[in-house]
Amino acid sequence: MTWTCEQTELLLTDYLDGLLSAEQRHGFDLHVNSCERCTPLVSSVSHAVANLRALPELETPPRLVYNILDGTLGPRETITGWAAVRAWIRSLASPRFAYGSVSVAATLVMLITASGFNWKKPKLADLSPVNIARNTNRKLQKAIGSGSKYVSDLRVVYEIQSRLRQDNELPTNDESTAPQSTPQKEPGRTDGTAPATPRQQNRANDINTHIQVLAEELPVLSGKLSLVVSGKLTMQ
Amino acid sequence: MEQEAQLVQQCLQGDGSAWEELVRQHSRRVFNICYRFTGNRTEAEDLAQDVFLRIYKTLGSYRSAYGGFATWMTSVTRNLLIDHYRRTKRDRVTDSLDDAMPVVENKASSARRPDEQALLGELSSQVQSALTRLSPELREAVILRDLQQLDYSEIQTVLAVPEGTVKSRINRGRIELARILQQMGVRPS
Repeated sequence: MTWTCEQTELLLTDYLDGLLSAEQRHGFDLHVNSCERCTPLVSSVSHAVANLRALPELETPPRLVYNILDGTLGPRETITGWAAVRAWIRSLASPRFAYGSVSVAATLVMLITASGFNWKKPKLADLSPVNIARNTNRKLQKAIGSGSKYVSDLRVVYEIQSRLRQDNELPTNDESTAPQSTPQKEPGRTDGTAPATPRQQNRANDINTHIQVLAEELPVLSGKLSLVVSGKLTMQ
Repeated sequence: MEQEAQLVQQCLQGDGSAWEELVRQHSRRVFNICYRFTGNRTEAEDLAQDVFLRIYKTLGSYRSAYGGFATWMTSVTRNLLIDHYRRTKRDRVTDSLDDAMPVVENKASSARRPDEQALLGELSSQVQSALTRLSPELREAVILRDLQQLDYSEIQTVLAVPEGTVKSRINRGRIELARILQQMGVRPS
């Protein structure tokens, strides 16, 4: 069978829609591949059909359905009585409502727990507004107190650290190079030990003062620090 | 199909919720046919409303033996679109004369709503434009076949013409569309 350009044009839709027999398709392909007129025709039509089929399906305008219903059924009547209750209950069975409910419930549980409610031993009295307010206030004060104490402790420790660092950085003169105006021996001293120099004495006094301040600021450590203080004092 | 026939029966018995269900199921399809035929969103929305108004009034004439409800509804839509085309033919002749002037054409294209511009890509816009330049009988055949994916027998029912005529119109419509697209500079890559 000899294909002509007219036949190709006539059967183009059948070709594109896959309605040709195998023999017809073979003849069609043979002709199109060798015909300068039909090759661009088939190509452009295939392209046009592909573009057409790629057109997106548009969304329905939001008000269209309501306009149609208003135009056919008339304006909607307001539902009252049991019908309204049933409609309201039906509206609760939506994923949006379920998500909102779970969020609200989680928030309530967190708030009640924060207000001091004991879930293991629940008491109705714990849920009274007065008790909730009192428990919340107590917890809040406790949280503020422990927070301020923590900050204060940090401040004292930092202050002590900085003072110790300052003391360590002070230049110290070599004691042996200091002019000795007086002999090592003191009148009445028989143990053969050298007494502390004035600079050493001053440093010891400073450290004692710091530790006493720390003991006052940190009551928990006050016992241990007192021992240290007393030990220092004994050493001196 | 049985479910739709049942919904139609319920509508005929005055069940408003059944009618609402039918409207929700088919409004998108009707709107899209109207939009692709007219190329104008507002006009398509008005026409879709008119289609459902007509369906509501003539629902009693629907027979399931006629075919699916969707086919019958497409047929009603097509008839209304053709009526609308004939009614507005005189306006369109004036428009087409205006369109010949480049300045007016630019003005018309810039008057398109921004959301509509965003909705259609440039290529989609060109294809839609080419589609609306087809004669109505070729346009409806191409829309039903390539956009609504109806088979030949369904198109034959909707257009009330023999299958040979359906094939011929689709074929001529596609070739003409390709020619218009080439004129517009849209060529196969």
